[in-house]
Order: sequence, then structure tokens, then C-alpha cells
Amino acid sequence: MSEARQVGRISFQEELDGLEAALRMEGELVLRSLRGAVECVCSQDLELADEVIAFDDDIDAQYQEVGQGIELLLARQTPVASDLRLVLALLHDNLHLERMGDLCVTIAKLTKLTKGLQPDDMLLEGFKEMGERAEQMIRVAMRSLKERDRIAAESLLELDELIDRANRRVVNRLLEIGHDLEMREWGLRMILVSRCLERIGDHAVDVGEQTAYLVTGEFREFTDASHPEHSENIE
Amino acid sequence: MTTIEPMSLGDIAQANDLIEPAKREIVFDVQDLAVAYAGNVAIREVSLGVYKNSVTAFIGPSGCGKSTFIRCFNRMNDLVPTAKVTGDVLYHGKDLYAADVDAVEVRRRIGMVFQKPNPFPKSIYDNIAFGPRVLGLKGDLDERVEQALKQGALWDEVKDRLKESALGLSGGQQQRLCIARCLAVEPDVILMDEPASALDPISTTRIEDLMHELKRQYTIVIVTHNMQQAARVADMTAFFSVDVAPDGGKRTGILVEYDKTAKIFTKPADKRTEDYVTGRFG
Repeated sequence: MSEARQVGRISFQEELDGLEAALRMEGELVLRSLRGAVECVCSQDLELADEVIAFDDDIDAQYQEVGQGIELLLARQTPVASDLRLVLALLHDNLHLERMGDLCVTIAKLTKLTKGLQPDDMLLEGFKEMGERAEQMIRVAMRSLKERDRIAAESLLELDELIDRANRRVVNRLLEIGHDLEMREWGLRMILVSRCLERIGDHAVDVGEQTAYLVTGEFREFTDASHPEHSENIE
Repeated sequence: MTTIEPMSLGDIAQANDLIEPAKREIVFDVQDLAVAYAGNVAIREVSLGVYKNSVTAFIGPSGCGKSTFIRCFNRMNDLVPTAKVTGDVLYHGKDLYAADVDAVEVRRRIGMVFQKPNPFPKSIYDNIAFGPRVLGLKGDLDERVEQALKQGALWDEVKDRLKESALGLSGGQQQRLCIARCLAVEPDVILMDEPASALDPISTTRIEDLMHELKRQYTIVIVTHNMQQAARVADMTAFFSVDVAPDGGKRTGILVEYDKTAKIFTKPADKRTEDYVTGRFG
């Protein structure tokens, strides 16, 4: 924080800093959940799947804490200008992180549904790659928020393209193995896993959009899904 | 035959709100204004436009010259012998400080309400009737008093005790009486210098609601220490600050930023405005 930041409203600044720290903690919890979810699907570890599902309570508790902190801060401190933008960004980011946590739970549940089915090694490799990319995206999203780094936030769009490509490769591979009846049920579940990982990447991009809004004061979607011709998609 | 329904006040307000404040007619056009008291410059290099049927708020720390500035709009600084005003204040295009302008007429057209309610030690009725009587305004005086008290949102509370002393009213009622007194002489502009800072929150809300009503008909300029009040009532907000000479000596008020209120409180362009509205005085 700049020097001027430290001149007035010390307790308010502490509350704001505390909220941001609580959101970062939520990000760390989501990262743990994501690693667990990818690991359980890749190693067919049903016990780990149960742990991931149970762990979501921790993320939800953190989500509640951040949400209540924002409510109280809005009621008591009436933030304006960059403070207001930060609080609004935190409000959105909080929901995005909670959603990521839910997607990890979905992956864990899908893993449990495929108990006893034969997996495809090539696809599992694809999930590993997607999981790593999603993890990287969450890290970039959280770091760009912390450092108020709009350029880093915008780089999430390129990272998202990579995870989207991995998702398409997974879908193509599923079409290849789809003729195998034994593979089909597993494959149907796994296409949803792929979709969950891809959605986690989208939420990370959304967090980046909030950072850009915080820094510039203008909200702008990095990609415009309904008007792709206007988007800055690198493809 | 078709009848045309009169526009409700709500519709009018909405229609007003649709117009960008900056596209409204300019009531005051201030260019390069400076005010000095006995040679000490209180405020300098101020240029801005005040728009018709809008609320314009001046905010800033103590000593930034915002009260000095608002007093330029009805030549109140004329009453301070050592005050010297330079630069231009055009009122509907006419130089407010031209030699042929009657300062008393200026103050009728441009009324003022102060921080501390200052009713005359007379009856409620006489407080309102005073201006119209002095000015010899035509029309039924009772009607004029009732109209002004209604516009001042005070009528219902005082209609049965118009002959009682105004000093018996609560602070909030006294302030609304002062606003009504101002309205009774049919002004064009109402200047308010911290009109609610001596009032409790309920009275403050009433004054703020009143401003919202009155801007349909009048142009309002307000100085306030309460930033949230500016955020609530104003269409346009000007932020003034204190410029300290490099040697740490002379302190002069300057206009830092003037824009739509929404902009000032969500995305101010100047770092000094940001630090002030967020409570971190830089």
C-alpha cells in the first residue's frame, strides 16, 4: 500500500486487508481441493474423492466468512472509489472461488461414479495437464489481484486458451474411444470432468477481469462469448 | 377531446435525471476566479460551470476555500471589506460583478442558507413574509407564505402556529424555515453552506429530500463536509484542496477535480480526490 494509504482510516484499511487475506486463503483452499480432485480422478482414488467432497465445507466456511466481512464493511464503512471497486471485486472473486470449489466436488463425485470402470491412460494424462493449467491460472489470478497487475490478469486469457485446447483434445480422444462399449460409460463421465476443469479456468479468467476492473475502473469482459467477433480471443 | 395529463413530479424528476448534468443550461460560468482577504489568497484559478436544475456540491478539507467560493455566487464577499474577487463569474451569461449589478437584487435571485439556522426573532409567518414585504412583491402574502412553507416541507408542521415565534422550532425545522424564507422571494438559485451539519440524522435526511425536490425548480449549490451527503444529493461534485507553497508557508485553496458525482465517488481521475474521498488525506 502507498504511503498515503496509511495516513487515514487505519482500522478500515486493516479490515480491507483482512478481507483480501481471507480471500487469498480461500484461493489456497481451492488449490488444495483442485489438486485432490485431479489426483483422485487420475489415480481412481475413491477415498481421496470423499476427502475432496468433505473438504468443500472448509471452502464454503471461508466463502461465508469473506461474504459476511464484505457485508459488514459495506454497512459500516461505506467504501468509495478504489476501495469500493476492491470490495466489489472481492465480492465477485469470492463467488468465483466458491464455484471452483464446487467444480472440484463434481470431479470427485464423477470419479466415484466410475468405480470399477476401465480408464484410458491418454485421457488421464490430458486431465493432469488440464489440472496443472487450471492450478497455474488460479495462481496467476490470485497473484495479479494481490499485485494489482492488470497485464498479468489479462494473460489469463492466453492461459485459458491452452486449457480450452486441452479440453478439445480430451473430447477428440473420447470420440476415438467411444466405439468401445466398456469405455463409453467411463467416457461420458469423463467428458464432464474435462468440462469442470475447463470451467475452473473460466472462473480464473473472471477473477482476472475483476482485477482489471479494480485497476482501471472500467469493467470489460476479456472475451465476449456471445459476440466472439468482438473479442480479443487469440484464435 | 383529449386531455393531457399533467406530468407527475416523479416523471419530471426522471426526465431531468435523464439529461446529463453537463449538458444542461449553465447558470454560473466561473472563469479563473481568485479571492484574497487582505492580500492573502484564499482560493485561486477556479473555473467551472454550475448547471441548471441540478445540485452541485463542493467538498474538500477545511481551509480549501469552498465556503469562500460559494460566497462568490451571491457576492457575499462584498460584505468583507478586505476581500478582493478577481476573475469572472457569469450568471446566465451576465457578469455578476459588473458595476451596474445591484448586489441586493443578486442576493434575491441567489438565496443562501447557512450552517446554523438563523431565523429572525419573529413569528414563523413574519420570517417568511419579511422578504416579500421588503421587496414589495405582488400577490397575496398569506398565499405566498403558505406556498413557501409547503415548498420548504414545513407547512404541515407549522400551519396551526404561524404566529408563534420561529425560535420555538427545532433545529431541523428552523433550517427548513430558512430554506422556505429563501424560496419566498422567488429565487433562481439556492446556495447552501453546510446546511445540515448542525442537524440530527433525521433532520438531515429531510433537508436532503428537500434538495432533491427543489432541484426540479431551482438550481442548488451546496458546500458540505459530509462526503456521503454529496454522494447522495449532488449531480455534480467539485473537490477542492489546499495547495501549500513549496516553502511550507502560504496555503491556498484550489479546485482539484470537478465531474459527475458518480465519477468522483467511483473512479476519480485525480489521486488527491481519491485520497480524500476514501478518507486517506494525501
